[in-house]
Amino acid sequence: MTSAIALRQITKRFIDHRPPALSGVNLDVLPGTCTALLGPSGSGKSTILRIIAGLEDPSGGRILLGGRDITDVLPEKRNVGLVFQRPLLFPHLSVIDNVAFADRAAGQTRRQARDRARPYLDMVQLGDLGDRGVGSLSGGQEQRVAIARALAAQPTILLLDEPFSALDATLRHEMHELLLRIRRELSPTILMVTHDRDEATVVADRIAVLENGQLLQHDTVDRVYHRPASLDVARLMGGENVVSGVVRGGVHHSGLGAVPVDESAEEGPGALVFRHESAGLIPGHASPAPAGALHATVVAVIRSGLRQRATVRVGTELLQVEVPGTMTVTAGDAVTIILPEQILWVVAT
Amino acid sequence: MGSRGKRGMANPNPDPVNRLRGARLLLIVGMIPVVVVVVGGLGSTILQSIGLMPLVGPVRLSVDAYVSTAPALLSSIGTSLWIAAASTAVAIVLGATTAFVVVSGGRLGRIVGAIGAVTVSVPHLIGAATMGLLLADSGVLPRLLGIDATAWPALVAGPWWVAVIAEYAWKESAFIALVVAGTLLTRVAQFDEPAAMLGASRGARLRMVFLPLAAPALIVSATIVFIYTLGSYEVAWLLGRTYPEPLAVMAIRLFNDVSLSSRTESAAIAVLTVAISLAAVAVAAVAMRRSAVWR
Amino acid sequence: MLAVLLIVWFALPLVPLALWAFADRWSFPSAIPTVWGVDGLDAAIAAGGPAASGRSFLLGLTVALIATPIGALAARGLVAGWAPLPKILPVLLFAPVAIPPFAAVLGTNVLLLRAHVPPMLGLVVVLVAAAVPYTTFMLRTAYAAHDVGFEEEARTLGASAGQVLWRVHLPLMAPALARAAFLAFLVGWSDYLVTLIVGGGQFVTLPMITASLAAGIGNDSVVAVLSLTAVLPPLILLVLLARTGSHRRP
Repeated sequence: MTSAIALRQITKRFIDHRPPALSGVNLDVLPGTCTALLGPSGSGKSTILRIIAGLEDPSGGRILLGGRDITDVLPEKRNVGLVFQRPLLFPHLSVIDNVAFADRAAGQTRRQARDRARPYLDMVQLGDLGDRGVGSLSGGQEQRVAIARALAAQPTILLLDEPFSALDATLRHEMHELLLRIRRELSPTILMVTHDRDEATVVADRIAVLENGQLLQHDTVDRVYHRPASLDVARLMGGENVVSGVVRGGVHHSGLGAVPVDESAEEGPGALVFRHESAGLIPGHASPAPAGALHATVVAVIRSGLRQRATVRVGTELLQVEVPGTMTVTAGDAVTIILPEQILWVVAT
Repeated sequence: MGSRGKRGMANPNPDPVNRLRGARLLLIVGMIPVVVVVVGGLGSTILQSIGLMPLVGPVRLSVDAYVSTAPALLSSIGTSLWIAAASTAVAIVLGATTAFVVVSGGRLGRIVGAIGAVTVSVPHLIGAATMGLLLADSGVLPRLLGIDATAWPALVAGPWWVAVIAEYAWKESAFIALVVAGTLLTRVAQFDEPAAMLGASRGARLRMVFLPLAAPALIVSATIVFIYTLGSYEVAWLLGRTYPEPLAVMAIRLFNDVSLSSRTESAAIAVLTVAISLAAVAVAAVAMRRSAVWR
Repeated sequence: MLAVLLIVWFALPLVPLALWAFADRWSFPSAIPTVWGVDGLDAAIAAGGPAASGRSFLLGLTVALIATPIGALAARGLVAGWAPLPKILPVLLFAPVAIPPFAAVLGTNVLLLRAHVPPMLGLVVVLVAAAVPYTTFMLRTAYAAHDVGFEEEARTLGASAGQVLWRVHLPLMAPALARAAFLAFLVGWSDYLVTLIVGGGQFVTLPMITASLAAGIGNDSVVAVLSLTAVLPPLILLVLLARTGSHRRP
């Protein structure tokens, strides 16, 4: 299948920037999918969106949309939708005229454009606010209108540049539901920039992890979390447990002891990684220890809302494990940590 | 002793109300020049024009000055309105275009902005002098274009006041561009990208985003330009013809005239010019109310 | 393309100055001066150009030094809401741009003469009034964007009101104040009519000698030199302004 978006060796240098903002980025986004571009600030993720949109020119490389090279096409001719972090609704136009803007710019009459805009306003559940001025909207409503405005232009791809990061948690949750509904109804191709891992998990099928202008990994949500391509990806995805050791004959040897790992693990030095959310913890030293279980001692416990995070010592290693809030654990307790083989992954070092 | 002691213990945080009172007082003192010119100057012009403030002779209320200047005044008003309207129209079109180019950014946009700022800083009299050197029938432009002096139209001191209008349009288009671009640079530039992403071409963005958002600043600066060009003296005096005279030229000539009645006539012209200016302000206020859909 | 046309539009009128200033003879229809030289410069010096430039500069400086603080006070008062007569004050402040200059000048001149105000003082008063709308406008925008939090923070850190003014307020406002002062300077530097009428012809500035020579015939070269002299100082100030502005921008 032809990629909806294909980046080929995209490089971007800014004059006042020593290291390039992007170096040799290759990325393919399949039609109808949603990919989250995840990375710390300054990693170049917004620059990728702006280059696809045509608002920045790449210093090198090509951009293909649906197989067509658009590297030299003006932004307004690319038929790309972009929703910015700030809604940027036109202050001199009403809500409906904002949504109708693309059709008006394409030369349609005011009435035609408004008629075509209405379904999109309905889709974002603001159908009855069309005649309002944009100044009267709340932050969440503004961003809904911005999304409707971008969709009404019927773009071949939709780019979202941290569109919900200025909203509070409740509104953000509502916007995620809205985005999922839009995906169900219109199945647009979406590339979304975010620095919020949870957001990426909720709305996207795939995650592209970016740091220092380099694409570190582009894979399904699950694989990026559990099968990081590098320790950098593991760290950026919030992986807390990294145990260095050596793989010999399908077994990882480290301060934890000998832990059997997947056959695909390369022989030689490698770091064992696993998600603190996926590991299990049971009180007491189960004996005999079941498969994938290790005896541990609780070092510290930190509560966070209804969850708690335990730091436990196994052998010479300290590990992080997430524990249900209902479980009583205190420092000094003897516990057993469960590490099923399918949650373990070895990154060659 | 007592007072020194008090000063020694000066309150580190003086009463904010007192501080504000001081600032207010300073501001009122600072307003004196404005009050002298606006209230005093305008008031004395009106009084002079109706004979209540004569240079010499008895104080006598009359509208003689208005009546005696009336015949010449009509053609003067026409001339001044033509110069002001034509200059303002050209300045609006070129000024708005310049602002759009500057706001759109890029290296050329920055160069246009810089050279526009230089133009604003050129005194009008100097602008008139250089326009004369450029547009006269032996000027630099006919030389550059290789047109003979006899074939060159009378732009300086000609029937259509072309050199005068060109000077005003030149300086004031830069002024309008500066005001519009200055007040809008950040606010409008941010809407340029979303508009482009929605498929609006450069022309559509100018028409659908830039102009509506620039309208208030455009109206204000255009009104200032209209009033300035309506009553400006030196450019029309240097580059214009001797008859018909624009309002300012006629008023200054009468002001410097030796005959006694001419001072009152000069004041009458000034009052009429102010009246036209205030009418322009009123029109602008209505236009503002219609266009001020955003702030 | 559009940008290039605009550059031509703004730059073309300045071309004669650059050419004529160094033309001792330029017979028609030659496209460039026939004899280059500095006769124009000599004539400009002989006509009193240096002294007139000095007077113009002094006038511009005086107007800037008075109109900028007034504009700052008015702007801050209007933005902060403590200005007296908040409805009438803006009307009064901006009235000078709504009145044609000659109309204001003629009446004010008579008034000042009757009150026996010295012509020089009268000249400064009228030019300050003409400059105040521009300084106020410039600084009102700046004060509207100004965050008082910096000053409040400085107070809580133990700075006195005076220290806050000198060490926090003025440095923060310096770029805007400089731009406002530049506009006020231009009002004095550029003026012709007010100096002519209210100054009573005693104070001969650069625009005045330029005007008298430009009204004559055959002075093209000296007029060009004087005009260049009038264009360059604002240009230099503008460059300085652009540089400080870009340094200070947060």
